Amino acid sequence: MNPDLDLELTRIIQARPATLWRCWTEPELLKQWFCPAPWRVKEATLDPRPGGIFHCVMQGPDGTVMDEGAGCFLAVEPERSLSFTDAMGPGHRPRGKGFMTAFISFEPVEAGTRYHALAKHASPEDRKSHEEMGFFDGWGTAAEQLEQLAKSLEN
Amino acid sequence: MANQRINLIFATLADPTRRAVIERLAGGPAPVKDLAAPHDMALPSFLKHLDVLERADLVTSQKVGRQRICALHPAALEPVEHWLSRQRRIWEARTDRLAAMAEALEEQAQPGNTPRKDPRR
Repeated sequence: MNPDLDLELTRIIQARPATLWRCWTEPELLKQWFCPAPWRVKEATLDPRPGGIFHCVMQGPDGTVMDEGAGCFLAVEPERSLSFTDAMGPGHRPRGKGFMTAFISFEPVEAGTRYHALAKHASPEDRKSHEEMGFFDGWGTAAEQLEQLAKSLEN
Repeated sequence: MANQRINLIFATLADPTRRAVIERLAGGPAPVKDLAAPHDMALPSFLKHLDVLERADLVTSQKVGRQRICALHPAALEPVEHWLSRQRRIWEARTDRLAAMAEALEEQAQPGNTPRKDPRR
């Protein structure tokens, strides 16, 4: 873990690991939470096995399509953990680019699930085009709106 | 304002010659001719790269005798650090939505979570 490049979060979620697993691996469910409104997941292709495709195409409110290409799952333990990266495509084929590897785990606890996410990033110099920065600016703003939406859903 | 600054820094660092200069200067200040030496380009072209770095405030230079000495200005990179906190916001908001979704799915599957009404009363 490199604190300058990586981030980690842990959350107790009041749902079973099996349910969270479905949310991460069933395209129709992942579409509903993966990206913040007003952006939406236009297409999700998920094949949760090592080397299986992980591909989300996102679309903005003005029709802008954000497609970073297909990544792949790395390690998959059903209802326990999964990891994926955008540095390799399906079949673990190197893409020569990529920004992130993510590790997600689900541990059953009395209240539900201890959910853990670790995202390891390439240095920001490896990324950055102006379009991408604009995209993430949009996400930052949308994230704040979304926290409110998520809260309203829980009430 | 901060976003313009970040865009400028990323645009400046998008060039391999300029990144090489930054790396070299990370080891300490150096004269222009030493900085230019490893690069296979005419001096005026190299000076243009230095000018871009100076305008982005990533590098400062001053004349010492007949030489121009360049140095890194690391504080200028500070705005870039915010990209990680932005990633954190994305992940936290994403996890909020995931939790709300999973919790809602389980409520749909088990309507018995609320105290069940006794039909005889």
